[in-house]
Amino acid sequence: MSYQKPSRPATPRRRFTRRKGCRFCGDKALKIEYKEIRTLRYFISERGKIVPRRISGNCAIHQRRVTEAIKLARNIALLPFTAGQSVD
Amino acid sequence: MRAYETIYIVHPEVVGDGYNAVIDKFKGILTDQQANILKVDEWGTRKLAYTVKKQGRGTYVLMAYEANPTVIAELERRMRIDENIIKFQTILLENGYEDTSLPTEDQESSDDSEDSDDENAE
Repeated sequence: MSYQKPSRPATPRRRFTRRKGCRFCGDKALKIEYKEIRTLRYFISERGKIVPRRISGNCAIHQRRVTEAIKLARNIALLPFTAGQSVD
Repeated sequence: MRAYETIYIVHPEVVGDGYNAVIDKFKGILTDQQANILKVDEWGTRKLAYTVKKQGRGTYVLMAYEANPTVIAELERRMRIDENIIKFQTILLENGYEDTSLPTEDQESSDDSEDSDDENAE
């Protein structure tokens, strides 16, 4: 995509593409679990959306596990469904 | 017997004796039905990602146990009745129980939020 926002010249373009390849394939010790929100935070956007595979770089198997873990974490209020709500 | 894990959120205003009573109550429900409790992990009070029953905070408790499937139905039925429980979730541990470290209070979003001001920046 060649679309460039002219108003933001200094923004780093490569947001999620820092790491090429699947993080979980590279690091077997890294667990995908709904309780490990520190890991999962990396795979949700500011808005609370799940980051797609083409950006996160995960392989299909691990992306599916990440997705399932995020959905479980959302259910029990560890992660937001959306960032639109304000919590005191 | 299968390994399950139930995570539930206790009302944040339930503290001290009342809080311990809630935990003991649900431990009792499990043991009464011949479930084998593996771990009870109290995460403490933490912020919820969204409000649940008008509460922005909640006290998380994680129970891992081995039980028959019928036990889950009874446990969840009792949790629904109890007003001190604001949310709960039971999952089946497919690979059996394995000990995991305790997650701490939110300390992330340091490198995540700084450079992510525009979602559609592609």
